[in-house]
Amino acid sequence: MFEKTLMDLQNHLKESGILISFSGRFSQGIIEELGDAIKKHMQTEDMPKNDIYNVFAIFVEQTHNIKNYTTDKEGSCYYDQIACSGIVTIGKSEGAYFICSGNLVEDKDVKPLAQKINQIMHLDKKDLKKLYKEQIRQELAPGSQGAGVGLIDIARKSKHAIKYSIVDIDGHLSFFSIKVTV
Amino acid sequence: MEKLYIEQTKGTPKIDFDPDANILVLWGQSYPENSFNFYEPIFNWVDCYLVECNAAMRIKVNLSYVNTSSSKCILMLLDKFEKAHQNGTSITLDWYYDIENESELECAEEFEEDITFPFNIIPLSQEI
Repeated sequence: MFEKTLMDLQNHLKESGILISFSGRFSQGIIEELGDAIKKHMQTEDMPKNDIYNVFAIFVEQTHNIKNYTTDKEGSCYYDQIACSGIVTIGKSEGAYFICSGNLVEDKDVKPLAQKINQIMHLDKKDLKKLYKEQIRQELAPGSQGAGVGLIDIARKSKHAIKYSIVDIDGHLSFFSIKVTV
Repeated sequence: MEKLYIEQTKGTPKIDFDPDANILVLWGQSYPENSFNFYEPIFNWVDCYLVECNAAMRIKVNLSYVNTSSSKCILMLLDKFEKAHQNGTSITLDWYYDIENESELECAEEFEEDITFPFNIIPLSQEI
């Protein structure tokens, strides 16, 4: 049976154009290794350095967002579920690279997250830069892991508008996913 | 004052701040697990150095990738240098970038925007 499952999974990855995927608890070491792997893959394909940089940068921001969110949830009763719920895929479809990631979020965090993305998703590059420069200068709450501008940075480096979805799982947690194309 | 030296890793740049030569080198990539933890000792060192420093200083930077939380830290670092410059310290910054990567150039240009001391953006002819 196990070989059937593996082959099905492999076929599914191939059909979706997925080159690299990871599901589970993100660590800095895993992020560094996967980041290196995608960089090397793109180098062998002779992709422009600029595209490699953007794919790598979006990958780092997405996975750090998941990791930082998990750290924020350390006291939550949903911590274990959230910590193991991360997934990232990097692939190529119709000549363009995509970076897709997802994780569980507490329902109370869904609205602010959606608001944040809706605010930036249709801004042009000039307005995104303005917003980035304003927000990166803002004071952070004590204990913050990031600068609070990861999503804006992702939008600035994305070729097309960010796609995202939020699916309610059980009335307490929702699955958030985001897709960015370079 | 003691030199500040931090070895380069995959996610953190080499830090080589020499108070005797007045040369501060920041070289590599920056996307640490926790940027604020990584940069805190660097901020502290620079605060002490800027109080003691009474000669012209030169900063050399090459950051082939900076994530957003590191960018915030780099801005905080540049603010310290800018303030020292306003108070009369002579500061020159050389920011090296890969000529084949316009993202690196844009990143350097964006850091330059709020700076008034000499900020030279220099192409690296080959990868180091």
